[in-house]
Amino acid sequence: MKILIIEDEKQLVKSVTQFLRQESYVCEVAYTASEANEKILLFDYDCILLDISLPDGNGLKILEKLRENHKTDGVIMITAKGSFDDRIAGLNLGADDYLPKPFYLPELSARISAVIRRKRFDGNNKISFHEIEVDLLGKTVYVSGKEIELTRKEYDLLIFLIANKNRVVSKNAIAEHLSGDDAELMDKFDFIYSHIKNLKKKLTESGCEDYIKTIYGLGYKFTA
Amino acid sequence: MRLLQVSLRSLLLYSLILVLISIPISIFSIRQIINEEADESLALHTNQFIKHIKSYEYLEDLEMDLKIWDQLSYDIVLTPSDKMSVGQRYETVSMYDSIEHELHPFRTLSSTIIIKDKPYLLTIKMSLVDNDELVMALGIVQVILIVLLAAGLLLLNRSLSQKLWKPFYNTLNQLKAYELDKNESIQPEKTNIVEFDDLNKTVSHLTDRNRKVYLEQKEFIENASHELQTPLSIFQSKLDNLMQIPGLTEAGAATILDLEETAQRMARLNKNLLLLSKIDNDQFNEIEEIDLSALANKLLSNLRPMADTDNISIQASISPLSIKANPTLLEVLLTNLFHNAIRHTNANGKVNVNVSDKILTVTNTGNPLKMSTEKMFERFSKEGNSENSSGLGLAIVKKVCDTCRYKIAYNFQDGVHSFSVTF
Repeated sequence: MKILIIEDEKQLVKSVTQFLRQESYVCEVAYTASEANEKILLFDYDCILLDISLPDGNGLKILEKLRENHKTDGVIMITAKGSFDDRIAGLNLGADDYLPKPFYLPELSARISAVIRRKRFDGNNKISFHEIEVDLLGKTVYVSGKEIELTRKEYDLLIFLIANKNRVVSKNAIAEHLSGDDAELMDKFDFIYSHIKNLKKKLTESGCEDYIKTIYGLGYKFTA
Repeated sequence: MRLLQVSLRSLLLYSLILVLISIPISIFSIRQIINEEADESLALHTNQFIKHIKSYEYLEDLEMDLKIWDQLSYDIVLTPSDKMSVGQRYETVSMYDSIEHELHPFRTLSSTIIIKDKPYLLTIKMSLVDNDELVMALGIVQVILIVLLAAGLLLLNRSLSQKLWKPFYNTLNQLKAYELDKNESIQPEKTNIVEFDDLNKTVSHLTDRNRKVYLEQKEFIENASHELQTPLSIFQSKLDNLMQIPGLTEAGAATILDLEETAQRMARLNKNLLLLSKIDNDQFNEIEEIDLSALANKLLSNLRPMADTDNISIQASISPLSIKANPTLLEVLLTNLFHNAIRHTNANGKVNVNVSDKILTVTNTGNPLKMSTEKMFERFSKEGNSENSSGLGLAIVKKVCDTCRYKIAYNFQDGVHSFSVTF
């Protein structure tokens, strides 16, 4: 799977590629708008990470160019400005998602897999991990073909963990993914812990192997 | 006291003193003039009389004639005298006036004249203006003058303060209404008075400069926050990669967690600063009809699971309310109020949210404030040492209320903190 990262911050690009390579994504990089314009015309990508503010132009122009050339690459906008107008403009120009800086790499990774899934399977899709199978359309989870009942948060948590399988995901990243701004209150409540505990229980009770490993208090790893 | 009243007061006082002093002076000088005129006239009269008598000296029984004539005439008295020396004497005497039945002042000139070698005393008298009447007449005139002067000055003063000072008051009112963060500049009225034009120019210059500095500062905060987002992203991404390194020790993991929490704090601080400056910059100006009760219920239901873990009960009694507002700002306002309440509630405490009559009240049980109520809404004022609190939550609440013209009130009673927002 090919990903194009359009971003002028070399250090950020380095981290993102390092993180995504573990997932067997092939990452290409464009540090400038002109470089990006060349690449999007020559190749097709499964997902493009697009920073809106580039030294030689606005990233929104690149979005326009993609649409002009009838490219269907998935696009996730990344921006430091977090401005509402940019967001609306980008989504109107056909961007699939929007991620304000700063972000957690597991969050980025989860968004990328969501965009790729949508593009590949035209919305009709399932993800699976060993005996676990998730029907993303019906939002239902099966363990060895048997449906299990999960709350909304537990379901989101499972998808997030599967999207970041074999990687350590910190508690903070999970909290932010599940609660957004409310994660601020996390210091007071170890409420991630209770969600993880419940999810673990439901999975193992239905005969699923315990894939959720605790990494010292830092976070969790979903791995076989 | 108004400036014009001060100058009016001095003017009035000066005029009054002037008028009062002028009364005796004018009486004295008028009297002087009248006396001089009378004396001249008496002298002329006497001369002519003497010349006239001299031309009749040839008459033999002039002596007899003079006696008769003396009895007939009213204002001339001619009596034989034994003084031989010739001389004249002016004096003012009071005499009985038979017409007005009162004493009346007269000016007399007494001269000793020689007719046919016999001395006579010739006294010619002339009526003078009554002193009392003169004072009275002058007094009345002066009083009328004072009244007219005062009235004129007052009227003039009023019209001056209305017309002449209008541009000044105009500028003053604009200055009173001036707010640095509103985009309205002072529009001074054009006048043809140098001082006012000078003042207006200075005021305009000052306010424009202040606004420029203010805008630059605002822009700086926003730019600084934007610029910080990228290094924060890099920092976080490095941590995310660091966690993946195989063979991570427990101590290493703990350090990464601490680093990540610190990065989180920075990110939240920065996000809130950016939010504050965005509100300042009026970037949330789209208004739409929002169902406040639905929004409040949604936000509360997201918070309940977290509150549950600390046995904090959230009770809500929310009656339907729709208001016109910016969706982002309203959500920011509610979120921050709710977060603040939950953050400062003790374990097993209670948070109560009530919406009725366009008033949102959020109460929570908790310890009394250590800081003052005024300080509470300031930036970076924190109660206690909560590491994850940015100290900006209530500053944001205040800013949103100020921007949207909502009224916010706080009070603490019987161990319950209460914030209420009137929409």
